[in-house]
Amino acid sequence: MANRAALQTRALVVDTFREASARKIIWGFFGCSTVLILFFLLIVKIDVVQGAIATMTIFGKTGQTQDVNRAVRGAHAGIAALLYGFGMLLAILASAGLIPTIFEPGRIELLLSKPIERWHILLGRYLGNLLVIALNIFYPVLTLWIIFGVKTGVWTAGFLWGSILTLFMFAVYLSVILLVGVVWESAVVATMITFGMIILSLIVFNKTMIERLLSSEWSRDIVRGLYYLLPKVIDIGQILGKIVQEQPVESWMPVWSTALFGMACLGGGLWLFQRRNF
Amino acid sequence: MTADYAIETLGLTKSFSRGWRGKPFLAVDGISLRVERGTTFGLLGPNGAGKTTFVKMLLSSAHPTSGMAKVFGEDTKLRRARQRIGYLPENHRFPTYMTGIGMLDFYGALSGMDGATRRRRIPELLEKVGLAQWGGTRLGKYSKGMLQRVGLAQALIHEPELLVLDEPSDGVDPVGRRQIRDILEELEHKGVTIFLNSHLLAEVETFCRDVAIIQSGKVALEGKISDLTAGSGYRVEAEGIPERLETDLRAVAKSFSNVNGTAGVLFDDRDQANHAVDLLRREGCTIEKFGRVNSSLEEIFIRTVSGK
Repeated sequence: MANRAALQTRALVVDTFREASARKIIWGFFGCSTVLILFFLLIVKIDVVQGAIATMTIFGKTGQTQDVNRAVRGAHAGIAALLYGFGMLLAILASAGLIPTIFEPGRIELLLSKPIERWHILLGRYLGNLLVIALNIFYPVLTLWIIFGVKTGVWTAGFLWGSILTLFMFAVYLSVILLVGVVWESAVVATMITFGMIILSLIVFNKTMIERLLSSEWSRDIVRGLYYLLPKVIDIGQILGKIVQEQPVESWMPVWSTALFGMACLGGGLWLFQRRNF
Repeated sequence: MTADYAIETLGLTKSFSRGWRGKPFLAVDGISLRVERGTTFGLLGPNGAGKTTFVKMLLSSAHPTSGMAKVFGEDTKLRRARQRIGYLPENHRFPTYMTGIGMLDFYGALSGMDGATRRRRIPELLEKVGLAQWGGTRLGKYSKGMLQRVGLAQALIHEPELLVLDEPSDGVDPVGRRQIRDILEELEHKGVTIFLNSHLLAEVETFCRDVAIIQSGKVALEGKISDLTAGSGYRVEAEGIPERLETDLRAVAKSFSNVNGTAGVLFDDRDQANHAVDLLRREGCTIEKFGRVNSSLEEIFIRTVSGK
């Protein structure tokens, strides 16, 4: 029975990879990562002398000598921020259609007629989508980690842990895409709502400032409520920066509350999918 | 309910609500149907009669409002019940990024087949549906008829005991249609139950043993095609019928037609037909043809759905 479930999960994951590969945007993501890797591999020249960067040359311009650990962690933090911001944007755009497409008439009926549970189909697709993006995150992260390690001798694990946090954030957004996909069956609506949610969470991050501008207590409660309810994009970005730079994290509340939001969306999506008629 | 039937539904009902607080609309209204094992069963009905919703409930893509549907004695909501069903939807949309082989491999894996069995079965099936040379080509390049045939191969991949086909000949050329019919006949001989949902009455009449006609969500007629089309009346064809006699015949006939001067008169029973022949001879008309005729499925269908 377990073997059968594994067989079906594998088929769903492989199918998601095939569909993602057929969509050009995934290759765009891969191309951007490769350009970044080639930039650090070929353009940036680093000479390390006794634990300090003696020279750092970019496009023929030589930089100042500094502490190698600090320089590498700074570079790691920059790349992690790029992946967390721009990479996430690309990941959402690339993934928004992968789940809603299975609800297309003529495709969903056939999937549901197979001897597989509904939740299994949806979770298999979710897992496949997550693995596609994981590959696109870990490919530049691991490669750049090795390049920096070889060039400087600094092998800090923070950069790797940070990429897991980036993937976690994407998993939460993917839960939103899944929920919206089940309700509206549209990639466009899924993209719009996910981006709308990100923008809203960026706004309510400044809750203290907004609260000062609001006159009524109930409107302040709404802002506070939205802050705690929605994924905490900026807070988690700050935690990511600390993890990458191997600094202590004061509060994990943004991570677990965001995880709860993601689980609620995922659970809600699965629950609705079980009950829907196609 | 027993496992003696391939399909058994009891009071199967599906209602949809139209918008917010809209009046519920009964798409399927308490259908109780039994399909014997190993038979070929045709489901007919006008557009919007509830055929597709009925099939969707059989395959668990729509949930019944009330009643139940069983396949070989097991509730179709159960995964193991669906293990025994092969399905080809009407307006299927197979992913165009897949090749024929990739598609069969995917649906085979979802049906729980291991890799070795799939590798053995896929070339066999592609050969059977006449697509052996096209297995490595993307589905986006397939014609409608080829998609229909690869879709049939998909439905057969796990050797199901019940095959549910929604318009299987749609878009297929006559040669491909013949090929599909040969495959279905072969499956019928192997004891596979075939449930055909088609608007092609001739196809159902030629291929199916049993039929049900659905109208307004209910079974309007059900039975063996041979019984339904047997002994439907007596037809007389004659030329030169005077106007007065024509009026008299129209009054008692079941139907009356006149094509290029030859009148075709259909009567319910033999005595009426014999009496008409006597009258026609007395008036000096030429009798072209006289005999018993069976109704075609088309006639039965039209009579059933129009209520005449």
